[in-house]
Amino acid sequence: MHRRRLLAAAALLPALTHGARAHTTRGPNGGQLIDLAGGHGELVAEGNELRLFLSDNADRPRSVEGATGQAVVLAGGRQATVTLAPAGANVMRGQGDFTAATGMRVVVTVTLPGQRPAQGRFTPRDSE
Amino acid sequence: MIRRLVFAALFGLLAAVPALAHPGHGDEAPPPANAAPRGIAHSDIFDVVGVLGPDARLWLYLDRYPSAEPVDNAEISATLDGQPVPVTRSAEATYVIAHPLLGQPGARSLILTITAGADMDLLPLDIEVPAAAAASVVTQGWRETATRAAAEPVAWAAGLALLLLGVVIGRAAAPRNLPPMVAPDGIALKPMTEAVSEPHHKPAAGRVPARAAAAPMALILGLLALPATAQPMDQPRRQPDGSVFVPKPTQRLLGVRAAMVDRADAPVALQLVGQVIADPNASGRVQAPQAGRVEAPPAGFPTLGSRVERGQTMAYIVPVLGAQERSGVQATLAELDSQIGIAQQRTQRLAGLAGSVSAREIAEARAELDGLRARRAAVAEGLNGRLAVQATASGFISVVAAVGGQIVDAREPLFEIVEPTRLWVEAVAYDGGMVADIAGARATTAGGLGLDLAFIGRGLALRQQAVPLQFRIVNAPPGLSVGTPVTVTVQTNRRAAGIVLPGEAVIRSAEGPPIVFEMASAERFVPRPVRVQPLDGRNVLVLAGLEPGNRVVTEAASLIAQIR
Repeated sequence: MHRRRLLAAAALLPALTHGARAHTTRGPNGGQLIDLAGGHGELVAEGNELRLFLSDNADRPRSVEGATGQAVVLAGGRQATVTLAPAGANVMRGQGDFTAATGMRVVVTVTLPGQRPAQGRFTPRDSE
Repeated sequence: MIRRLVFAALFGLLAAVPALAHPGHGDEAPPPANAAPRGIAHSDIFDVVGVLGPDARLWLYLDRYPSAEPVDNAEISATLDGQPVPVTRSAEATYVIAHPLLGQPGARSLILTITAGADMDLLPLDIEVPAAAAASVVTQGWRETATRAAAEPVAWAAGLALLLLGVVIGRAAAPRNLPPMVAPDGIALKPMTEAVSEPHHKPAAGRVPARAAAAPMALILGLLALPATAQPMDQPRRQPDGSVFVPKPTQRLLGVRAAMVDRADAPVALQLVGQVIADPNASGRVQAPQAGRVEAPPAGFPTLGSRVERGQTMAYIVPVLGAQERSGVQATLAELDSQIGIAQQRTQRLAGLAGSVSAREIAEARAELDGLRARRAAVAEGLNGRLAVQATASGFISVVAAVGGQIVDAREPLFEIVEPTRLWVEAVAYDGGMVADIAGARATTAGGLGLDLAFIGRGLALRQQAVPLQFRIVNAPPGLSVGTPVTVTVQTNRRAAGIVLPGEAVIRSAEGPPIVFEMASAERFVPRPVRVQPLDGRNVLVLAGLEPGNRVVTEAASLIAQIR
């Protein structure tokens, strides 16, 4: 059973972690919403803080208990690495040495318990 | 046992094929099953394709997005599963990552930080390392080969046994020297016989099979080591769904470029057939003013392509007289000669009697003599004189019809002079109403040379049921010839909405309708049938078949269409 779910996740992985297509959808928390880890991921970047909201394909909040995450932030010509940790039912939070600004790019790697790491690319402050 | 052998052989074959199918993306067709494992990613600046080579090295192809222009000398730093890995530039806009993790099966996530000039970007790349690719890690050197031999002893033992069997059969089947049919009377036969029969007695005989076996072994090992230095070259191919898979290295060879299309408002254009003509104000035709024989000037006839100035003598015409005409002239000359003789004697006589004869009489006799001489000169001129033919315009000689000694009629053309910087285009329009208002025009030669045109005017009289139109070529390119057929694209003041594409982006498909190639992803090209309308000589207007935001191939589309 567990193995079958893993296989399904593996088949979905490349499609959903692609992160290349320009998604400009906004999520309920005002952040950019993309397909991530077999569901949706919404990233809000403010100041030096990143908040990642996870939901499933039906936009129901998804538990982040036991999840680990890391984000690479490229803002203002500098690169910073931010560790994301669960900070609520469906939120992961992390702070780092960066200032959120237009044109910033973030690549998030999230590992949900029992799943393979999933990558997603955000441009959270682009208004296009 | 047999089953185990078959299994081993199959496994060996599988290991020899470097690539295996990898799962595709949900929204696009996967690359062909035999393509190397790959990952693609793009942002609004860069387009990255990562291809896992058979040597477990990852080849990165970096291009601009959406133009597909290679980005050379970019600075790339990479993180593979959280570990920083070095990226080296291997060729133009091609970068390589070598890391042991890439040899282990499983999903690998790569984060690339790309800096090219002022552009910086962050891109994630997912690579699925298949088990087969990991097993087929081809390495250079004996140790790895030995390890592989140890891993699959049955297959290797079978292979070696076959090789040795082949060597033995080869030796057994080697031609032997037969005893000579005739007695060896010549010396020429002897050394050959000796050379073949001698080794049987020599101590070095045992070395020959060893050397024969070593050569194929060395060849096989050399082949095993060879692919380690080459980048993975997948075959471009047409997919079952009609799309075309073109790997990045092939795209670089073809020079594929793409562009994001957008809807635009463009003037409606129509195409006319025309040809280049010479500007009548700057060119000239040189004709024989009267019948006669053509003679070259002292410097010879002006040659084809040489420059002449207006008024320059280009040829002489020597009038040719008929026999009757000639005898008449000669009779006149004889008569004049006799009259001149009489007048001369009279003038001399009168001059000798100066003082007793009136000065008026002497002056009259002199005037008469001068008049007779002038008449003679004029008549002789008609018999032997020649007429200079002068250039009617400045320019370059484009036609030379004059031949020395040729007898020409009056009005026969001898030369044509063209000023190459001042050329016109004359076109005919069969629908006069369509060209009532002309906003701009452009001509294209059969060779694809574009010419900017300025409208001069249209004729009010129909010529063969068509309206003649004349245009001036703005900045005529050197080498353009008068009479060159051109396609004139006339822009009218009416406008239509559509997608503007360069003309070479639209090609004719094998089925007939025009198509363009949409670049659906970094290596996948989807043919899209379109309805097009000419715009100007360079661009076309796509009215249907494309949506704004499609990424369309603008260069090398015809080469992609040839991939089967």
